[in-house]
Amino acid sequence: MKIKLSMKQKQNLEAIMFISPWIIGTLVFFMNPLIQSIRLSFSKIVKLNGFVMQWNGWANYEKAFLWDVNFLPMFLSSVKDTLINTPLTLIFSLFIAILVNKPSKMRGFFRTVFFLPVLLGTGFVMKQLLGLGMGVDAMSVAKGIIVPDSLAKYFGFGLLGVISSFLSRITIVLWKSGVQIVLFLAGLQGISSSLYEAAHCDGATEWEMFWKITLPMISPVILLNFIYTIIDSFTDANNPIVDYILKASFQKNQFEYGAAMGWVYFIFVFVLCMLAFFVMRNRVYTGTGK
Amino acid sequence: MNMKASSLYNIYLNNKSKLKYIYKHDTKYDKYLHKYLSMHTLVRFIVRICFYLLLFGLSFIFIYPFLDMIVTSLKSTSDLMNITVKWIPNSLMFSNYVVAIEQLQYLKYFKNSVFVTTVCIIGHVLSCSFVAYGFSRYKFPFRDSLFSFVIFTLIVPVQVIIFPLYIFYSKLGWVNSYLPIIVPTFFGYGLKGGLFIFLFRQFFAGLPYELEEAARVDGCRPLRTFFTIILPVSKSAILVSIVLSMVWHWNDYFEPNIYIAEKNMHLLPSRLPALYNMLNTDDILNPEMDLIINEAIVLAATFLVVLPILIVYSLVQNKFMEGIERSGLTGQ
Repeated sequence: MKIKLSMKQKQNLEAIMFISPWIIGTLVFFMNPLIQSIRLSFSKIVKLNGFVMQWNGWANYEKAFLWDVNFLPMFLSSVKDTLINTPLTLIFSLFIAILVNKPSKMRGFFRTVFFLPVLLGTGFVMKQLLGLGMGVDAMSVAKGIIVPDSLAKYFGFGLLGVISSFLSRITIVLWKSGVQIVLFLAGLQGISSSLYEAAHCDGATEWEMFWKITLPMISPVILLNFIYTIIDSFTDANNPIVDYILKASFQKNQFEYGAAMGWVYFIFVFVLCMLAFFVMRNRVYTGTGK
Repeated sequence: MNMKASSLYNIYLNNKSKLKYIYKHDTKYDKYLHKYLSMHTLVRFIVRICFYLLLFGLSFIFIYPFLDMIVTSLKSTSDLMNITVKWIPNSLMFSNYVVAIEQLQYLKYFKNSVFVTTVCIIGHVLSCSFVAYGFSRYKFPFRDSLFSFVIFTLIVPVQVIIFPLYIFYSKLGWVNSYLPIIVPTFFGYGLKGGLFIFLFRQFFAGLPYELEEAARVDGCRPLRTFFTIILPVSKSAILVSIVLSMVWHWNDYFEPNIYIAEKNMHLLPSRLPALYNMLNTDDILNPEMDLIINEAIVLAATFLVVLPILIVYSLVQNKFMEGIERSGLTGQ
């Protein structure tokens, strides 16, 4: 008996055929480990050989917050870092993209240079390039670059500390903003110049043009960059809390504890992303601007 | 006066008033001359200089580790010890690179890295474009929420799910092979797979529907439409995916380290920590070691690891930038 499908149903079937690899991938490579991981964070591993788990309730989470001395301060400092670095990354990459977008002689050179940190790769390569190795913080290395020591002598101690930590934070932020600069560049070039010309005819200044034309037209890119910046901070090898989670999981064999910490960190990131979505959702300009 | 002189005289008489504009100083063109050298142009000139200074200053911050790496890798041992030698080494020691190639066992691991990266790129491009085609060109129920789920898979940090994934792979017996890295890319997962689905979907959303309608009218099934019509059109998006996937897979240090224990199958970036550890141990002072690893050799090794990426990127750089602009990734 032949099944008669309507056009709409046929199209739905075609669509499902197209996304079927992704559905399979989600179930196998994502949902399965995700659920296992949630189960793991609520249980305790009894036998290491067969990975037998025993339900343990909130004990792992309690351990993370109440018992472990290292986790909470590291988590809070990581929260603080993310909250400071993400807007800084967005602002600086937007600024650099605007600069590179202006007609200048060596535009191709600058575009390549600003993408260079991405090519040099993950935090590990960068870390070793700066000779960081083990206990040295990235910020202290960046200090030597911006304020040369001979100049630093004249500044006095307190002011020097504030300036150098500020500048080294900016340096780190700049190193991580390669992809964002490229995305902003693309977004800026999608704004049609007729908007600017019309505004110029009406007598708008550059400052007004930035706030009224540039920012609204690239608002979808701002949202995309925001999400990308957050997820990029996970693969950063300097990220202390990710490092700590991995150590706890693989070196000390406390897999369930690592899973619990990972979930706490994830909840924080997820809340941040949801905030970004809801704040920007009504302000994102979805027209074509042409 | 003969004719010639009189015509000359006439010319002189006719143009006498114009001569004033040449020889007199205060004419009506002079106020433009004054404006040329006015404050306005001077300010614009200074702004231009500051603009270039700013760009060069910022690019210095970006390029500093890279330059430092190249310069230090060419220094000889005496240059390394010499504090006053910072940017220009006294002698160029290219032999550092030779030692680095030997130490890294470059060719063997290079082949491994090339193999894994190429297969992963193919997996990403094929599967992510396939999936994104379904998301962008068809309206089916739950389409939007499924697409938000794609973005959600990006947000979950891989460290949260790495351990159950490892157990899963060990049950399948895939540990100690390249399969855990390669197979997810053919299903839309793998390193930042959701981002590529997003990229392709934005691109396909900008294509006109006439392409498919024309194919449909000619009797083309959807699969064939995808492979013979849509894919060739989306060359720029494919190029962007290739470059990004290549960069991320080549430099990936985390996943291969977890899944591959056997030394022969390691990838190129995994060899670097071994070298750096040699730098930090006391073996340097061991007189039985016939080779002294110093910082220059290690940096030369790092440069060799990133060199293929740099070469490929410099070749496709223009098209890559154009591709990002045209891909509609940014929503325009």
